[in-house]
Amino acid sequence: MPSTAAGTKPTLLWVAALLLWAALPFVATRHMVDLLVFAGLYSIAGLGVAFLLGQCGIVNLAQSVFYGIGAYSVAWFCARKGLPVPVGIASGIVLSVAMAAVVGWPILRLSGYFLALATLALGIIAQVLFLEWDWITGGTLGIGGIPFIEILGFTFDTPARFYFLVWPVALLLLVLHHNLLHSRAGLALRAMRDEPDAAAVLGIDIHKLKVQMFMLSAMLGSLAGSLFAHYVTFVSVDSFAIDRAISFLLLAVLGGVYTVWGPVLGALFITILPQWLSRLGDIHAFVFAAALIAAVILLPEGFGGAVTNWWQRRRTRRA
Amino acid sequence: MDKTPQTTPALLRISGISHKFGGLQVLDGVDFEVADGSLTGLIGPNGAGKSTLFNIVSGFLLPQHGRVLFDERDVTRDSVRARSHAGLVRTFQTPKVFAGLTVRENLMTGYYRHLRSGTAGNILRSPRSRQDMAAMHARALEAGERFSLQGVMDRPAGQVPAGMQRLVELARAWVSEPRLLLLDEPSSGLNSAEIAQMREALTQLNDAGMTILLVSHDMDLVDIADEVHVLCFGSIIASGTMAQVKIDHAVRQAYLGV
Amino acid sequence: MSPDLLFQSVLTGLTNGFVYGLIGLGIASIFRGTRIINAMQGDFALIGGITAVLLLERQGWPMLPAFVAAVLIGGAAGWLLEVLLVRPLRRRGGTEDSYLLLTLGCAFAVSALVLYFVGRDSHALPGIGGEGIVVIADAAMRIHALWLIAISLAVMLTLRLFYSRTSLGLSMMAAALDPQGALTTGINVPLMRTLTFALGGLVGGLAGILVGPLITVYFDMGLLLTLKGFAAAILGGLANPMGAIVGGVTLGLLESIAIVTISSGYKDVIAMVILIIIMIVMPNGLLGRRTRKGG
Repeated sequence: MPSTAAGTKPTLLWVAALLLWAALPFVATRHMVDLLVFAGLYSIAGLGVAFLLGQCGIVNLAQSVFYGIGAYSVAWFCARKGLPVPVGIASGIVLSVAMAAVVGWPILRLSGYFLALATLALGIIAQVLFLEWDWITGGTLGIGGIPFIEILGFTFDTPARFYFLVWPVALLLLVLHHNLLHSRAGLALRAMRDEPDAAAVLGIDIHKLKVQMFMLSAMLGSLAGSLFAHYVTFVSVDSFAIDRAISFLLLAVLGGVYTVWGPVLGALFITILPQWLSRLGDIHAFVFAAALIAAVILLPEGFGGAVTNWWQRRRTRRA
Repeated sequence: MDKTPQTTPALLRISGISHKFGGLQVLDGVDFEVADGSLTGLIGPNGAGKSTLFNIVSGFLLPQHGRVLFDERDVTRDSVRARSHAGLVRTFQTPKVFAGLTVRENLMTGYYRHLRSGTAGNILRSPRSRQDMAAMHARALEAGERFSLQGVMDRPAGQVPAGMQRLVELARAWVSEPRLLLLDEPSSGLNSAEIAQMREALTQLNDAGMTILLVSHDMDLVDIADEVHVLCFGSIIASGTMAQVKIDHAVRQAYLGV
Repeated sequence: MSPDLLFQSVLTGLTNGFVYGLIGLGIASIFRGTRIINAMQGDFALIGGITAVLLLERQGWPMLPAFVAAVLIGGAAGWLLEVLLVRPLRRRGGTEDSYLLLTLGCAFAVSALVLYFVGRDSHALPGIGGEGIVVIADAAMRIHALWLIAISLAVMLTLRLFYSRTSLGLSMMAAALDPQGALTTGINVPLMRTLTFALGGLVGGLAGILVGPLITVYFDMGLLLTLKGFAAAILGGLANPMGAIVGGVTLGLLESIAIVTISSGYKDVIAMVILIIIMIVMPNGLLGRRTRKGG
């Protein structure tokens, strides 16, 4: 079929990738699949941080706050109160989005350094509150007994099963993100990122957009946190400290904040690398920091950006 | 064109604007009007206060004294966004195109304020969202043809030569259907061929009904204007047609020291 | 609440305040010299502190040489940061966000290195005057704390004189205010920028050895110190580094009073809330003039 050869090749590639993705849990070790599940969860949370940085120029170090709210909402409403799964997830989202709106409105008037450090301060406040308010969060003892997610009788109680829940969700969110970028709002975001003054002249409400994006980012963080809780069935404060927020920022920058699937690359990197380095002890924290520095100086568009640029150059050379 | 000021409503009225920077009185009681449908020029030597006045009119600076009236409404304290929704659109001395967007996308953003689809709808690709995108595409296409930008529509705006960037900015402003278009030194950085193109483009826009206020120190560009105000050392020293202003005594003193 | 308790908390707040002020002084100095907010300033303190710990404990150095070396190592760290990392980023067109991410990355890197090589334990540092205490109106204050305050004030004065009286200091100011003009008068502007960071490193290292005896030295002390120092710098007005000391003292006192009225577990929360509030409400600080709006 020579006339459709150009059309079938990419489709074949997509199908092959899909098959590869679907086969992984059956060929990889349970531990590896567990890591891949975490990569999926972090992709979701990291997507929130990535588009906020890439499209709005906002460094968000508060994602751990919403990750925690999502997880603790599930722990509270499902484990403690015995309510169905959707209630936990939905309440996490509602709480996170509301908080993002209330806190975001004043602090998003700040810009640059001030805003980034304000989000860092928020992350620290939440870290302390999660610890101190142990009547809600169980403090360091945590809350256990979180039920597994069950859809139509199928329980997502193993890494392999959860893998088939988290990754479709992540993929769906990437598609929605793509929709956002190529819409009226997406244009406005990129406009305000490039030239805020000119954007204002065209009637773009920069502040309102920033708050909306912050709320969206919080929603993603919360969703990731809720899924996390339903996966590990036990949550405690250690998972929601500032280094979690730093991981999310790290994976966003490494993966590339200007490509839609960048967060996936970054998430894979930060979940799988510590595995390889585990022989060397606690060195992965340093490697991550060094990778962040290297990315900022040498690869500002992240792995995703590097791949996209390479792909563009190949296409223009062939054409 | 003979306009009788009393019957043609002033679209823009500047009244008693004064502003001081540090110890320097940059603007001192500036009064002038821009008639609806006119092509008005504001000229003056560098340092006369043109940029300050421009920023005050467009909403980037709050004046210490005086008022800005747009369509008889006091907009002195209105935000840049509010003014844009009222139809007051400006360009910048160094063209501010959205470098990361293609020329087409730049033009599309011009139509932003006329559309209503919300962020949620955009994410879910609602019908209204798709309509909005179609409308933006259509306007961008129109603008591309009108301003001869077809060749660069899909190039990132940051990679387009400077003279063309200015055209992109102008086209984008046209897309937004302004009531009043404010141009800030539109000829700076252009060669004489490009200035001639600019004159042509602006004259055509005005003939088609757009009110334009042109701020420049370049006499050759401003002579397309119906009416010209001369700003010197913080106040308007002369108003009238270009010919009248050129022979005005005060103007000659200021410019030529005669 | 008894007046004794209040007075004691005032003294504690004062001491902490001067530490925050020193960190803030470093942040504001680097900002004034390079327009970069150094998110690793608190980690310069960590570097100074941990160097002193290692020299004293593992190498058996006497106190004064160890402290001097610690401060100098801090300065060296600042030097290296600028030359090895900030300069390449500048050359590639650094934006505010990228400088922030860079210095944040360095903060994490330093913290991670200390974690890897030294571990999670807190390490004590000997204070000046040992464990000696001075009693002021029924409240106790460590002699070291008095030294801390005195040294901080001395640093503030020295820096002020340095910037206004010495030719090097004036050159650094000139390079910051008008790089082009400074170049034409023969000032080595890139070197001035490096020196600014080195100076920040020195001040940070000094803060480390001064605060170490009070709160011990541990691998993740940097971030919180940076944030509190940043709050001090903003309160004092970023354009005015000396104001950071005033800002720091204000922050320290507010923090202390809040602790005795609310609870000590919320200590850091209070400081962070104050930071956010002052960024929104008074971004130019108590003393600063109108410079930037809201960051």
